[in-house]
Amino acid sequence: MLVQQLVNGLTVGSLYALMALGLTMVYGVLRVLHIAHAAVFTLGAYGGLWTFAATGSFWLALLGAMAIAVAAGLAMERWVYWPLLAKPPIATLIASIGVFIALEEIYRIVAGPEPHSFSVPLRVRDVRLAGVLVTAPQVLVMAVTVALLVALWLFLTRTSLGLALRAVSQDREMAAACAMNVRRIVRLNFALGSALAGAAGMLVGVYYNSVSPTMGDVTAYKGLAIIVLGGLGSIPGTVLGALLIGIVETLFIGLVEFPFPRDAWAFLAMIAVFLLRPQGLLGR
Amino acid sequence: MKRCITLIILSGVAVVLAAGPVDAQGPIKIGFFAPLTGFAAADGASAKHSAEIAVDEINGAGGIKGRKVELVVYDDRHDSKEAVAVANKLIEKDQVVGVVSGSYSMPSRVTAPIFAKAGVPMTVAYAVHPDVTKAGPCIFRNGFLGQVEGAAGAESAVKIQKAKRIAVLTVDNDFGRVASAAFIERAKKLGAEIHSEQVYKLGEKEFGPYLTKIKDEPLDLIYHTSYYNEGSQIARKARELGIKAALEGTEGIDSPKFLELAGPAAEGVTFTTNLNRDDPRPEVQNFLKRYQAKAGTGADMVGASAYDAVRILARGIEAGGTEAKAICGALTNLKDYNGITGKITRFVKGEVTKPVQIQIVKDGKVRSFAVIDNPEVITPPAQ
Amino acid sequence: MYLLTVATLVAIYAMLTLGLNTITGLAGQISLGHAAFFGVGAYTTAILTVRYGWPFWPALLAAVAAAAAVGALIGAAAIRVREDFLAITTMGVNFVVVSVFLYFPFFGGALGIGGIPGPRLLGHEVARPGFLALTVAGVLAALAVNLWLSRSWAGLALLALREDEEAARAAAVDVRKFKILAFTIGTGLAGLAGAFYASFLTFISAGDFGFPFSITVLCMLVFGGIGTNRGAIAGATVLGAAPELFRFLADYRMLTYGALLLVLMRFQPAGLLGDDSALWRALRRR
Repeated sequence: MLVQQLVNGLTVGSLYALMALGLTMVYGVLRVLHIAHAAVFTLGAYGGLWTFAATGSFWLALLGAMAIAVAAGLAMERWVYWPLLAKPPIATLIASIGVFIALEEIYRIVAGPEPHSFSVPLRVRDVRLAGVLVTAPQVLVMAVTVALLVALWLFLTRTSLGLALRAVSQDREMAAACAMNVRRIVRLNFALGSALAGAAGMLVGVYYNSVSPTMGDVTAYKGLAIIVLGGLGSIPGTVLGALLIGIVETLFIGLVEFPFPRDAWAFLAMIAVFLLRPQGLLGR
Repeated sequence: MKRCITLIILSGVAVVLAAGPVDAQGPIKIGFFAPLTGFAAADGASAKHSAEIAVDEINGAGGIKGRKVELVVYDDRHDSKEAVAVANKLIEKDQVVGVVSGSYSMPSRVTAPIFAKAGVPMTVAYAVHPDVTKAGPCIFRNGFLGQVEGAAGAESAVKIQKAKRIAVLTVDNDFGRVASAAFIERAKKLGAEIHSEQVYKLGEKEFGPYLTKIKDEPLDLIYHTSYYNEGSQIARKARELGIKAALEGTEGIDSPKFLELAGPAAEGVTFTTNLNRDDPRPEVQNFLKRYQAKAGTGADMVGASAYDAVRILARGIEAGGTEAKAICGALTNLKDYNGITGKITRFVKGEVTKPVQIQIVKDGKVRSFAVIDNPEVITPPAQ
Repeated sequence: MYLLTVATLVAIYAMLTLGLNTITGLAGQISLGHAAFFGVGAYTTAILTVRYGWPFWPALLAAVAAAAAVGALIGAAAIRVREDFLAITTMGVNFVVVSVFLYFPFFGGALGIGGIPGPRLLGHEVARPGFLALTVAGVLAALAVNLWLSRSWAGLALLALREDEEAARAAAVDVRKFKILAFTIGTGLAGLAGAFYASFLTFISAGDFGFPFSITVLCMLVFGGIGTNRGAIAGATVLGAAPELFRFLADYRMLTYGALLLVLMRFQPAGLLGDDSALWRALRRR
């Protein structure tokens, strides 16, 4: 039973991780809370749905989802975040919230308030190992997440662009002093983070067979809690934090009879970490 | 100068003549509020479409005693403050003769005392909170109380579907809590065993943890109070995990959206509701057709209830006139009203005694499964 | 009656924005969970009046005290973190507090608490116009508190804190004490608003006090002009009355609201009447 619930937790955690990475990457370079990231996530879901309807291919749809998300992320960087860099952080926060609200409303007006189904015929099978069931959709989610995370890791550690990205996130001014094109790196960050969010959005849409304008809400708030838990700006920290939250939530529902709402756990864990270790699990 | 004045007088006469017979009193205004934006927007839209169908039908048949009915629609955004502002606006600015709540419990509950104090009669389409009708003598609820629905669900589960071991999943809002509690009480009374009750939040999509917990238990039925978002996730996950127990839901999943989002997992799911798709009565079938034509999707419980709520109020106005007290009296004395969501014998303290429909999803369509009319179950509990 | 309703709600919003201004504007600490303290005040009032039969006035005082007490606790925790961390902490607090309201039957759970009585004066129940007067009095009280605070020695310290926390710390200003003080006062004012709200609506439930409402209040403050009391009141008035003004926009209302926030932050972050705003400077030039 425990292991079975762990599988559930890891699946949910994987989705959280893909979503939260974009948040932490943007925070890493710009020190801003990109609340509108949730709108990028949702756009990815709609983008994937639309592409799937047009092409009938899961993989093309995934690419479509990521591409649309990247476009949105870059647009936000260009029109909202970069121009507001010099202003106090609260201005950026409010602007981000404004974008989030506006976009969700646009989705509602254009696509309608009701959820759309997103059913994809899966060619993976359930996996049964030593009495533990990993259902086909769970296999899909975890496989795609692992693939994307590995790709990201390779990029960050094996390419010079990746190195530049890590440098900028550590110290933006220093990186600029070293004549690095900071702006380009910032955009790259947005692109990567948004791509992951777009993928996350589509995966969530497929996993739950539901795409709706407000699907990003809870994930947005939770994402913020997760990146703090993991350590703001730390990519491995965010992944760890996401998986941990996924597992904690699941175990508290599945094993312990503790009558407390699911979403509150992420925030309680976050507050606990604050009190004991403010830099987060793997933060600097 | 003289020519000027003549011209003015002539044009004045022309205008008056062109306007035609003047309706000295103007249209009858009925207020209507529903969550048109926000998370409940889909239900709000359904309620609004249906209310509009009702008004169109009334006006198409000549209106009420020759006067047209005008629906004054407001969005309450499922927010208490909004609802309060809207209520006051309807009373004061629009001066409606009556109001229909096409909304959920929270906005209905917070506005009921306001309408009661102003003496404006109110019909409530589907909100379930018991306190809504307690606010005053002129508040009439068309839908079921949560207690009635839960008890009816138990009748169906234990007596008709012969379930002996049942697990319950409760959505954490007033509707879910009340209905589940009533279900559990009645099921136990009928001799079934309740294995567990798990409470989850409104809007939950991930049911892995909840269902994994009960997946290996020998259960006959899983009862879930939910709306179509959660209900469809429960059905999907249950099938995905290979759970063999039957699934029974409530009017919350009475929607074509449930079928769409649950896909093949919807097959065989039963639920309690007030709308019977197989009802042979022409009023019902006409409504279903008109709704499909207008909204492009099949009708649901919310829509049918809103339709009835509007027509009930109209009936009250027809019988009593436009004076509030008279409408109130007319509705209190209403007998044997043939609603599309069931025949109302009469209102008792604003509540109805109506048979509960049990519908089932068969071959991708919603069909009739059973009807619960045991008076012990369907009579609203004395409050 | 309708206008009275809108005006009363605006007054309640103004108490909230003024309280938030104490925390965010005067002391420079970001709070994204103000609605939670609003809720603490509302629920305290509701429970004391409905369950224990307290009259409105002592319940109101208790509401302020309760909200302030919770605020002091959070303030104490806040000393460990700063800036963006604090924003998320307060957001988390909001979620946890609302979950508590929703989950435990003591707070009415999913059914909420209803039948909350209104204030009584001289043995008579206060009518709507009287209630509006009371809420306006509440706004004036909040304003007075903020003015007193900014002019006192505590206020100077808070100003130092806002300008540069590190420097203030170096000059031996007790950072801790002032953060807690700011939080306590600001949240106490939220509790005051909550008491009026509970009594006005007569029915409250957990959903009224969620994170989205915290955002709404923050946006009102920022829109009006963060750091200024006039901005707090202006923001509450314009955006509080906005749903009524914007009702003709109906379906596009929230979209307009979001776009407005974005445009404002891009081109006029001082808000409508903030110290640097175009409007304020134009008004001052007269």
